Amino acid sequence: MKLTLNWLKEFVDLRDAPEKLAETLTMAGLEVESMTPARAPDGSEDWIFELGITPNRGDCLGVIGIAREIAALKAGRLKLPARKAAAQKSSAATPVKVEIQSPRRCHRYSAQAVEAIQLGPSPEWLRFRIEAAGIRAINNVVDTTNYVMVETGQPLHAFDLDRLSAKHIVVRQAKDIATFETLDEAERRLAAEDLLICDGDVPVALAGIMGGRNSEVHAGTRAVLIESAHFDPATIRRAAKRLGLHSEASHRFERGVDAEGTVAALERAVALLAEIAGGRPLGGVVDRYPRPAEPEAIALRQQRVAELVGVEIKPAEIEKNFKALGCKVQAGKTSFKVTPPSYRSDLTREADLIEELARLHGYEKIPATLPRAPLGGKPDARLRAERGIRSYLVGEGLVEAIHLPFTSAELNQRLPGLLAGVKAVPVLNPLVSESAEMRLSLVPGLLEDMKVNLAQRSKGFAAFALNKVFFLDSENAPAERQHLGAVLYGRRARAGLRADEDPFTFLDAKGLVEGILERGTTEWSWSDDDLPPFLHPGRAARLGAERTNLGYIGELHPAAAEELSLARCLVLELDIEKLLQYLSPKLTVRSLPRFPSVERDLAMVVDESFPAQRIIDWIKDLRNALIENVEVFDQYRGAPIPAGKKSLAYTISYRAEDRTLTDAEVQPLHQELVARLGEVFGAQLRG
Amino acid sequence: MNESLDRLREEIADRVGRSASEADIEQLRVEYLGRKGTVTGLLRGLKDVAPEERPQRGEELNRLRGFVEERIEARLETLKTEKRSEALVEERIDITLPGSRRERGRIHPLTLVMDEIVDVFHGMGFEIARGPDIEDDYHNFEALNMPKDHPARDMQDTFFVGADRLLRTHTSPVQIRVMESRKPPLQIIVPGAVYRHDDDATHSPMFHQVEGFMVDQGIAFTDLKGVLTHVLRQIFSADSRVRFRPSFFPFTEPSAEVDIGCVICDGKGALRNSQTCRVCKGTGWLEILGSGMIDPQVFRFVGYDPEKFSGFAFGMGVERIAMLKFGVEDIRLFFQNDLRFLRQFPTF
Repeated sequence: MKLTLNWLKEFVDLRDAPEKLAETLTMAGLEVESMTPARAPDGSEDWIFELGITPNRGDCLGVIGIAREIAALKAGRLKLPARKAAAQKSSAATPVKVEIQSPRRCHRYSAQAVEAIQLGPSPEWLRFRIEAAGIRAINNVVDTTNYVMVETGQPLHAFDLDRLSAKHIVVRQAKDIATFETLDEAERRLAAEDLLICDGDVPVALAGIMGGRNSEVHAGTRAVLIESAHFDPATIRRAAKRLGLHSEASHRFERGVDAEGTVAALERAVALLAEIAGGRPLGGVVDRYPRPAEPEAIALRQQRVAELVGVEIKPAEIEKNFKALGCKVQAGKTSFKVTPPSYRSDLTREADLIEELARLHGYEKIPATLPRAPLGGKPDARLRAERGIRSYLVGEGLVEAIHLPFTSAELNQRLPGLLAGVKAVPVLNPLVSESAEMRLSLVPGLLEDMKVNLAQRSKGFAAFALNKVFFLDSENAPAERQHLGAVLYGRRARAGLRADEDPFTFLDAKGLVEGILERGTTEWSWSDDDLPPFLHPGRAARLGAERTNLGYIGELHPAAAEELSLARCLVLELDIEKLLQYLSPKLTVRSLPRFPSVERDLAMVVDESFPAQRIIDWIKDLRNALIENVEVFDQYRGAPIPAGKKSLAYTISYRAEDRTLTDAEVQPLHQELVARLGEVFGAQLRG
Repeated sequence: MNESLDRLREEIADRVGRSASEADIEQLRVEYLGRKGTVTGLLRGLKDVAPEERPQRGEELNRLRGFVEERIEARLETLKTEKRSEALVEERIDITLPGSRRERGRIHPLTLVMDEIVDVFHGMGFEIARGPDIEDDYHNFEALNMPKDHPARDMQDTFFVGADRLLRTHTSPVQIRVMESRKPPLQIIVPGAVYRHDDDATHSPMFHQVEGFMVDQGIAFTDLKGVLTHVLRQIFSADSRVRFRPSFFPFTEPSAEVDIGCVICDGKGALRNSQTCRVCKGTGWLEILGSGMIDPQVFRFVGYDPEKFSGFAFGMGVERIAMLKFGVEDIRLFFQNDLRFLRQFPTF
């Protein structure tokens, strides 16, 4: 809502400087968003204020409404112009009949015909004011309707009277009328429930939104019919929203216009037309108001005010404030009956009244207290776990990324992550078509980051995202899960003199995940069956626990990397929600062993495709109480190992709980183990 | 006789003093004290000395031997010290070279800010609640007193993802979900992503909010002021000016917009060069959160008796707070994940 201060001054005395006035309005909930100095056409100084009016305050979408607020806030007097029932009384018969067929959608319809119009440009002062309000000046008739709308908050519409051939205004729903051409020359498709103003059978306006081209004021207009009506807010809003047609009029009707104010606005328009366009009223005001609104009293308990606001507001102040707002107040012993004025349709409940009291009392004057509440919140296990994972990954050199959750159907299909074969959640009204689905995986976003950062000549890229992915469940209902995704490319970054680390490999990615799994309470399994197709089939693995698929790690498939013009890199994704169920927040420490262990190494030459873990599993399956641990510590290819073979080296730790093991005891044990490994795996042993 | 011993003594002292290495000294030791050494020879010759002179001669020779040993040890010590000093000079390094370490990653600035806000509330006894990003119309609007065809819905342009499914436009639906399943007293904080159909330098289609609410018997607007003032002073600075001004949210009444004194111009509205502060547009104030007493209608939706319980709710934009705290001018930087941006934030 934009208006000029001089306009406001016509209705209320403004003694404060503009800055002070702005402060007063802002602190009363009418936020002054900007104030610009201006010079009125008569050379006087003026200011243009832009106010942010909240949707509940339709009454403040007019200059008089703002003046009324200022009068209430500053204990000033509102100066309303004396109502002149039309400048020159007309004895002629009223030329137009009005019929409301939808009284639930049109509560009141007032109209007045004006003749002898001399159409032309408006005077400078009027144009200045409506343009300051953000409305384009057109001609003296249209400008008058807009001027009165900005002044009173009541939208008006002017029809060319001669173009209303039936002279019979019918307010009705569109029903079978399918289209209508509005004055902006657009063909509008109507819904059956849309409210129309018709001249007989012919629609001439979309009620409360925009007039029609067929009845528009034009260069030859000599007489007009001014409409000043009151429509149901929801009806106007639905139509305006569906048609994408947001007008100054619809904006006001949606937020509530004063049903009691139609005739006053009409009279103001008629007086103005007489002044600037030579117009003369033709006949009297037609006013259809089938069911006038009955003002309802609202009970207000003084005790309730104290409870909710937290301070005592004296009965005298309560009464004074509501009277200043134009309410009727009936004071009882501990309560009040407050009847709001017709223009305050937002006041219907006790809570609304309490808000008004707090507002007029001044939020600044209400003290700040701290409630009595239990000390310390409950610890949040999920928050702690996620913070732990974040700080671990950051320690490992990964940067946290946050992405918009939108992606393209194509990327979802190519890189579905853990959710292959699952349907994505569509965005029905995406900003752009490339973001028409919700992401199934965190990896595409990270890959995009990698691409952008490598273009910025970053040497490596290591990042993770801990966030939601979205999918349709088996019943086609949207569902979401918390995932961890990461991408590793190039070398780990180092600070200091150049000392390159080795490039990231599969084992770095696996190690990263194993660091998280350390807190596990279950046997983890790594497998290379059923790998997602976007991963390198020989350099990828799935993580599982108790037959649940928890995630994957691996090198991006070279074909996928090529198609997406990406560098070959490592990606991983874990279902962190599932994974957390296998991580224990509890820890029990084992006491330190009392006797030393004895370590023995062994190396085996095996086929290239032989998985190192098999030896470990086999030895563990022996469940020999003296074998404490088996670890693989080296893998070697090349001379003297023949082609197609590799050498794997293991360390076996022997330990007894109750004594120090001697070489003499370990030696036969180890030799037997080595011999059996050779038999079972046909492996050649190296010394 | 004595004279020749004195000469020998001088000769030894001189030669040991001039020796330049451990090897030289070792050679001198052999020459004088070795099995065929000069001093050893003299001592051996004692048996030929007249018996009456023998004790004195013996004492002199033993002193000489002691002297030689002492000199040799002293010389060895000196040489060792000199050698170490030389080594210390040689081993000197350039301490102005940069330290060497693996680069740590970075926590995203929005996470940093969200963690900070959550910790402040946690310290005041608030607990965390979470809710789905994909909501239904009832929880996102209807139960928050925003019926269909309510103009307040204009303030929140919505992404739709299915029949009656939308991306939550605020974290407030979690209020409803918590109250539906639990009874007061409640002190809850809800961090999370929210979505609006909007995209420019100050609006992102996704951003983050921290929503919070407190419901119990006897909670008043004064408590809302107290809690939020405390929180904002923890997040910004202990002497931040905080002001509450009337506003409108369909789910609270009375409602308040909360401002803090502009962190850029220090609440003056103008910069040092007397230009208008762009961040607060010259007002000296920054809108930082929306709040209010929970509307009785909302309590009715979740089955609470509004006569018995009262409470306040609030929501703040994480990006906005991060932009103010770190001086970030374009909201889109938060979602581009450019390492040149992210690396500017501290690692701890």
